[in-house]
Amino acid sequence: MTASTSTSTGSTRPIGAGEPFAGSRTSDFKIWWREVDRVLLLLVLLLVAIGAAAVAAASPATARRLSTSEVTLPDLYFYWAHMRWLVVGLAVMLGASFLSRDNARRVGVLLAVAMIGALMLVPLIGHEVNGAKRWIKFGIGFQPSEFLKPGFAILLAWVLSWRLRDPNLPVLAVVSAVAALVGVLLMLQPNLGATILFGGVWFVLVMLSGVSFKKIAGLVVGSVAGVVAAYFFYGNARNRIDAFFGGGTAFDHVDLAERTLLSGGWTGAGFWLGEQKMRLPEAHTDYIFSVIGEEFGLIWCALIVVVYLAIIGRALVRLADEENLFALLAAAGLTAQIGGQAFINIMVNLQLFPSKGMTLPLVSYGGSSTIAVCLTVGLLLAMTRRNPFLTRETPGIAGFASNKEPPR
Amino acid sequence: MTALGIDTAISIGRVRPVTQRHEAVLVARLRVLLVALLFALVALAALSRIVFLGIGGGASGPASLEEALLPDRGEIVDRNGTPMARNFPARALWFNPKAMGDGGTPLTRSADEVATRIAAIFPEADKAIILRRLTSGKAGYLRRRVLPEQANQIHALGELALELPEETDRHYPQGSLGAHVLGYVTHDGDGKVGMEQVLQSRLTDPALRGEPMALSIDMRVQGALEDELRSGMLATNAMGAAGIVLDVDTGEVMALASLPEFDPNVMDRRVVDYEFNRVTNQVYELGSTFKPLSVAAAIDAGVVRDFSKRWNARDVEISNAVLADSHFLGNHLNVPEALIQSSNTVTARIADELGAERLRRTMIDLGMNERPYIELPARGHPIWPKGKWPRLRNMTISYGHGIAVTPLHLASAYAAMVNGGVWRPATLQKLEAGEVPRGRRVFKESTSSRMRQLLRMIAIYGTGKNADAKGYRVGGKTGSAEKPGKRGYRETSLVSTFAAAFPMDNPRYVVVAMLDEPKGTHASSFQRTAAWNAAPIVGKLVPRIGPLMGVRPDMSRDVDISDLKPLIPGGGT
Repeated sequence: MTASTSTSTGSTRPIGAGEPFAGSRTSDFKIWWREVDRVLLLLVLLLVAIGAAAVAAASPATARRLSTSEVTLPDLYFYWAHMRWLVVGLAVMLGASFLSRDNARRVGVLLAVAMIGALMLVPLIGHEVNGAKRWIKFGIGFQPSEFLKPGFAILLAWVLSWRLRDPNLPVLAVVSAVAALVGVLLMLQPNLGATILFGGVWFVLVMLSGVSFKKIAGLVVGSVAGVVAAYFFYGNARNRIDAFFGGGTAFDHVDLAERTLLSGGWTGAGFWLGEQKMRLPEAHTDYIFSVIGEEFGLIWCALIVVVYLAIIGRALVRLADEENLFALLAAAGLTAQIGGQAFINIMVNLQLFPSKGMTLPLVSYGGSSTIAVCLTVGLLLAMTRRNPFLTRETPGIAGFASNKEPPR
Repeated sequence: MTALGIDTAISIGRVRPVTQRHEAVLVARLRVLLVALLFALVALAALSRIVFLGIGGGASGPASLEEALLPDRGEIVDRNGTPMARNFPARALWFNPKAMGDGGTPLTRSADEVATRIAAIFPEADKAIILRRLTSGKAGYLRRRVLPEQANQIHALGELALELPEETDRHYPQGSLGAHVLGYVTHDGDGKVGMEQVLQSRLTDPALRGEPMALSIDMRVQGALEDELRSGMLATNAMGAAGIVLDVDTGEVMALASLPEFDPNVMDRRVVDYEFNRVTNQVYELGSTFKPLSVAAAIDAGVVRDFSKRWNARDVEISNAVLADSHFLGNHLNVPEALIQSSNTVTARIADELGAERLRRTMIDLGMNERPYIELPARGHPIWPKGKWPRLRNMTISYGHGIAVTPLHLASAYAAMVNGGVWRPATLQKLEAGEVPRGRRVFKESTSSRMRQLLRMIAIYGTGKNADAKGYRVGGKTGSAEKPGKRGYRETSLVSTFAAAFPMDNPRYVVVAMLDEPKGTHASSFQRTAAWNAAPIVGKLVPRIGPLMGVRPDMSRDVDISDLKPLIPGGGT
């Protein structure tokens, strides 16, 4: 809420997000309410609610696992921690959604530049957890790669939209160089999952920017080659891919996750009645989908997949009506960021993808990364804001469908 | 393809020359839908996977709290609720050379040291075998069953490669008692041999496995039967023994034993050697025990009406064959005398007068022409003469030669003979009052009551004297058949059977005891025939099981044989 007062006064709103008066907070809110994609917001809040219940279900498993003889964590330790982070996160999300597109762009680009800078510092002053240097501690610790997520797509979209001003700018080369730099920095940590995710966002944006399908096919072949290279030159990836295809030991994460996922059947064992989750490491983060499967049943797992698809579909299909290239690219990139992470996590839990250290956005316990996820969603909401009283100038999705002459 | 789609959309939809800005936005807008489609495909893949897993592709099924409390496999109890087979969680010791996951040596210490330590935990284990497994580099069981205390000791060794997977163990608290009835469960969870195999789906059905499955067996009777059969078998150096106790009115099997037996708790050589069930699977020529059945058929048909009528007891000469008795019994005998002294010749002549067709019909009605009726999977097919029986075949069958059936066939037929004439299938399931099958009538009620008198008289005056337990009103018939060998019947290899029912005034149970190739020993007065080995088994068994099943010894009751008594010498008046 504080963000809205400071940002809404100074700026001029672009087309589609009218700014008739430099008004009070009430009028700001009214405008926001009219412009924001309320369906998207509702779906996001639904997911957050499911997530809160899921973290409550998974919390005892992790709390008991991390309890030592000296310190006993209460069963709901992670639930209450999640609630605290969520309060901050939701405030950030709503605050970000109040931003105008220009301000959202500025926040995103600045954040991206700052976090790429922080990523460069990680190898020097980083803090090692579980064999990977990902954290930076300034008072409280945070992962630069998490906070790069909201900025990355906006930075790339911004660069790509330069082309509208001067078609001769080498925008593709610039975004590819930025993506490559991020990729290299992430692999130094090492963090293959995040590399794949950022690579995916870059791929989507490059595709949307109008690169010919021939080149895209080349990119796909190149990324397959990249995975093969990672397999041969990168031990962690090799272990995980081997485990995925070879079937690991009986105490493998993946195996435990599958047992947890299936032990509830369709309707679940019941809230707090799961047994398999207790053996699962990272029950509250990477494998929360499996915990949901055990306690709430496969039906809820399917429902969560549907909700994610609805969020992605809602955002992307509405973008097909978007006039502003930057907003379109940025929103699509942010959607790919959230959706990509969600589906990679789900596929890992369903054993369709090798194990990656990746949380389920908006559902998992995330700690400080909750704020990053919420900021991503908030920026997406800001980018998809649209004045409902302005009609578009070119045919929208309906126009594509009917193939009619657009209204002039 | 999609690129083509864009081109047409542009050429048809946008007639005026497009600016670059419009084109870029348009391409991006179209491709955004493509991205949405990709995500939809991924979501579809995820949903299909969920459905696939949920429907059974590796799903372990819903494990609700209620179900978690159920045993993996249902309990089997006897008719009084005594547990016969139950599950309990156990652990095995498994060697997993890949447990360390680093491609190095599977063990942190030397294999020899680890093997020594394991051997110290299991004193009866062979260290060399353990060492061979540890050095083989292949995963496998080191021990099938590990006690909790031993599991802790293994755990304390700190070797990751020594895993202790949880397994459920099928335990038979009664040991080898009723082994052939129960069978056993393989390590894959499949029931074998006995009711474990028959009830496989019932015992593993989540809806039903919470309820113990009650069998008709009475464990106390089973114990007594196996005990008496075993002492009888050992006393006569027989190669095997079989016995059954059957409820005459319901067909419920109270006890069923085949010796030598195996212990379903111990999977060893004995299981392979002795899982064969002599009661239901092996067919024997049961000899003279068939005589009462033939006489009953003749009484039923009206061929035998006058019990004082004397029949020619000399050798029967027919189509180059001579049918004779074991020793000369007299020139002529009446029917009670013929049964008491077990005369082949008189029985053959009665059967001849009855006619092959009528005897055959009775045998078919008694189920002698098909596999025995019981749930067990291993049921032997009788050796049943096909087609029309020639005259000679009819005569030999009347005294139990030329036809081979299982001891269970005989027990069911005796039940029908004494219970009022109704044949019912034998069953191993406990029947409630309303569940008893109607059965089919084979003999008239009057025939049945005559047979009770005659069987009782055999036990009082004839070859069944050794089975006549005081006060239990036992009636029954011996049968000592020579086993067929390479060259005709072998005189020294006998199958000795005693088929009995008690109490004869109101028969409740049929008991069949059979010894396979008993030898003449001191215990059997150096005799091989049933009167000296099989009959005493029944004589000792009935006083043990009668009171358990509600039959009390009573000297003041007995079947009324006063009308037949004067017909036999020594019967008096």
